[in-house]
Amino acid sequence: MGIVARGVGKKIGNPEVRILSDISLEIRSGEFVALTGRSGSGKSTLLYILSTLDFASEGDVEIDRRNVAEMSAQETSVLRNQKIGFVFQFHYLLAELTALENVLMPARKIGKTEELTGYARELLQSFGLEGKEDRLPRQLSGGEQQRLAIARALLMKPRYLFADEPTGSLDSINSEIVMKIIRDSNQKFGTTVIMVTHDLGFARWADRRIHLVDGRIAPVPPTG
Amino acid sequence: MIFLAVRYLLARRRQTILTLLGIFFGTAAYIAISGFMLGFRGYFVNQLVNNNAHVHIQPREDFLTDHSLDLEFFGKSFDHAFWDPAPSGRKDSAIVEDPQAWYRRLAADPRVLAFSPQLTAAVIFSNGKATAPATIIGCDPLQQMKVTTIADYIVEGSFTDLAAGGNRVVLGDELRKRLGVRLLQNVMVASATNVPIPFKVVGIFRTGSRFADQGAYGALADIQAVNRTPNQVNEIAVRLEDYLQSAPIASTWSSLGQEKVESWDQLNANIFEVFRLQDAIRYVSIGAILVVAAFGIYNVLNMTVMQKRKDIAILRSLGYQSRDIIVLFFSQGVILGFSGALLGAIFGYLFSRYMQTIPFAGGPMGGRGPGGTLIISYDPKIYIQAVSLALLSAIFASLLPARAAGKLTPIEIIRAGAE
Repeated sequence: MGIVARGVGKKIGNPEVRILSDISLEIRSGEFVALTGRSGSGKSTLLYILSTLDFASEGDVEIDRRNVAEMSAQETSVLRNQKIGFVFQFHYLLAELTALENVLMPARKIGKTEELTGYARELLQSFGLEGKEDRLPRQLSGGEQQRLAIARALLMKPRYLFADEPTGSLDSINSEIVMKIIRDSNQKFGTTVIMVTHDLGFARWADRRIHLVDGRIAPVPPTG
Repeated sequence: MIFLAVRYLLARRRQTILTLLGIFFGTAAYIAISGFMLGFRGYFVNQLVNNNAHVHIQPREDFLTDHSLDLEFFGKSFDHAFWDPAPSGRKDSAIVEDPQAWYRRLAADPRVLAFSPQLTAAVIFSNGKATAPATIIGCDPLQQMKVTTIADYIVEGSFTDLAAGGNRVVLGDELRKRLGVRLLQNVMVASATNVPIPFKVVGIFRTGSRFADQGAYGALADIQAVNRTPNQVNEIAVRLEDYLQSAPIASTWSSLGQEKVESWDQLNANIFEVFRLQDAIRYVSIGAILVVAAFGIYNVLNMTVMQKRKDIAILRSLGYQSRDIIVLFFSQGVILGFSGALLGAIFGYLFSRYMQTIPFAGGPMGGRGPGGTLIISYDPKIYIQAVSLALLSAIFASLLPARAAGKLTPIEIIRAGAE
């Protein structure tokens, strides 16, 4: 079990621009991996390819030994809903829904809203959002919004949590809180975490770092 | 996704209400205008179908043309024969030639409910110094009541009293006023070739049609005597079991004799042309309103798709599929269309109820309406058409934006957001 990439490349645009070249890696189940690199190095693109939100121009990606390219739209949808959680740099919450309703959105897709309401409340409570279930996202602070987004990503107890610079828009205190939640989900529940970050301090919280330079995997620089 | 669609609509209330108003007014206008037009039309057709015979058998019409007399004079017809002056006039008959044959034929036909031989004559009524030229219809009163609804319009006396014979007459209310006569008084009736004969007024009718109310009815034998045309009739009015079969039956009967046979709808073909024109105007004008409303929905949904691109990315990342996104935006259009149509139908109904109270006395529409008011149609078809049209326009308006939203991939949105 885990994620395997073999010779993954990515080209976009017209004229084509190569973003990734010959990426091969393996992320084992339960690992906490940080993807690092400069802006434009291709780390976010790699994250989206590994998480099925984007597709590779070359090579294969396997999740739990299933080739992602061979999955139907329905299978990909089920995979995203039940095995994968996403946390973006910007919280991406649905502005019209309350905190609790936002967290329950993945459950709504499979008609398990009532079944998972209790667990959603537990998550909100453990993330310091108790009593704020009925608030709209705009009535929460930036840190609270990001914690809410993580709660939503963890509702279905996913096997994989993909995070794209989850602390990028937060102050240091909130960044610390968010990182602790992510690390806890890895350590307590065995969630495999793949996180893109610019922050080398937080990158060290990971079990392993994959460093990208110009779309290729490079050795982790000794200074970082 | 309906849950989220409703939240989207509620979140932008002002925009939602404005869009809804377009559909609302389109639907309400369709119902009110159609109710008014079809109410009038229903009343009018009802008058045509029920008040009069379904099929009229009348003397043949034979007009002289330029070559009508060629045969008599030259033994054959010539295209190059020129008459100076050309023959003109008519050589038809003023009476039904063999009414007995028609009576036998009609009595044996199971499609015929009833028939009434009539003699319509132009006479002069007088009461003292008051005189009025008018048309009087001589008929068998009991048969006439089966063929037309004239008895329903009797406001004084009785139509069946004509059956007793002995020079009795039922006058139209307008004619009665012009003569200044009352029930059970005598009026003098004279044809062009006869001396005035006293007739007793045994009934007054008021149909609401000024033209009809200037006429009169008498017993067939009495009018034949006044007109000095005993045993002659110039029309046989026929009522059928199914009035919708009038035209084909009239066409069949036309080939059976010399007489001119016309159905109620053939006689009023020009009126039905006007109705068709009315329908076209009604559909085009309401269509225009709904097209504008549909553009409103299209614009709003397009804008919403643009504004909610991030939401689409989130939903797709949470496992929602392309079809869920289509449903999310499509259902907003349908909800707007359905709500607007429903509210519009309710308002259209209430407005129709109000229109029904508007006085319209004196005209043909006011004749039988309660208190002489507008007659409005509440035919369920109007409401079904209005709601269907509104829904259809909303569906068409929602399809394109919804499909465009469904085609967006999460990575496109995330990349666009990152730029």
